[in-house]
Amino acid sequence: MFNQKTIVCLKLLLTMVFSTLLLLAASPSQAHRVTIFAWVDMDTIHTESKFGAGQKVRGGDVLVMDEAGNQLLAGKTDDNGEFSFPVPQKTALKIVLDATMGHRAEWFIPLSEIIGTDESAGATVEQSPEAPTPSPVTISTQEIETIVEKVLERKLKPMQRMLAASLQPGPSFRDVVGGIGYIFGLMGVAIWFRYRK
Amino acid sequence: MHISEGVLSGPVLITGIILAAAGTGIGLKKLDFDRIDQAGILSASFFVASLVHVPLGPSNVHLIMNGMVGLLLGWSAFPAILVALTLQAILFQYGGITTLGVNTVIMALPAVVGHYTFRGIVRVNPKAFLPAAFITGALAVLLAGGLAALALISASENFLEAAILLATAHLPVMIIEGIITAFCVGFLKKVQSGVIPV
Repeated sequence: MFNQKTIVCLKLLLTMVFSTLLLLAASPSQAHRVTIFAWVDMDTIHTESKFGAGQKVRGGDVLVMDEAGNQLLAGKTDDNGEFSFPVPQKTALKIVLDATMGHRAEWFIPLSEIIGTDESAGATVEQSPEAPTPSPVTISTQEIETIVEKVLERKLKPMQRMLAASLQPGPSFRDVVGGIGYIFGLMGVAIWFRYRK
Repeated sequence: MHISEGVLSGPVLITGIILAAAGTGIGLKKLDFDRIDQAGILSASFFVASLVHVPLGPSNVHLIMNGMVGLLLGWSAFPAILVALTLQAILFQYGGITTLGVNTVIMALPAVVGHYTFRGIVRVNPKAFLPAAFITGALAVLLAGGLAALALISASENFLEAAILLATAHLPVMIIEGIITAFCVGFLKKVQSGVIPV
């Protein structure tokens, strides 16, 4: 069954596969897959949008909705694929990225993440009246909290970015080889079926 | 060109599934025993082609190669492309499972049109098979863009706007695929002219 036609086609395929792998190795792989990643930072929500692991989504529409799907606000990603906005209200948020041409991705922020920031803000307000105790050297709880939050934010930012990047992997070598294997397997099944006839 | 989940409305998705099923049925019926190997190999080529990104233009575009698949396979491009798209959806998260039908039609229908265009041109002028291959490769991408824009009407995107955006974004892809298709056909003509349908 492996006539000359097949061998010629096979040669073409091998050339394509190898050139693809070369390209994959040479450039950061980009995919036709879009992702949006969002995290809450104090009372601001940051989002990052990408095509796969590579290219940033520039000028993509970001829609922010509550659980019921009511739109709360909308914006566009900047040149780095980022868009930040203040927490619009204390509900779970659904953030939708519409990168045009049928590309769309979603990210969900549960209520707990948003309430978490809000409670700490509320706590500082409650505790601040107790803070001005007569000791001259003491730093108010509020100040400590601000300092800790600032430091934590600085330390955690790279981690958040790393996490965001790891959530958006491009197709791997394994995926490519696996897919080709599946196709050849199906081909075998088709040939088997036809052969029995 | 791969439309993601949650963009299209129900009726469009169902229409896509019905059309894709019909096309796949015709394609499987027309697939001769000694062409199964070819279909499999072209399906694999289509599967990997989407990983080759074209760093030109304003958007993120990749090769499609539906023209090449259609040129050699005709209606059998439907099952070949359906299989490749399914694997792309599962392994690469390109497009989605619910949009599989629509995406198959978007890419396979222009492939079939390309097949008959190529045969038509070659029948009129048997020497013009290289330009015919170029036209097939480019036309299939252009038509796929048109179909994608048509499907996106339901997503409340303005048809003309989406069509223009898709066409401009895929202009470099059209030219590159035209050249690749012409190159492949030229190569096949020299080595094994029986593969090329006339």
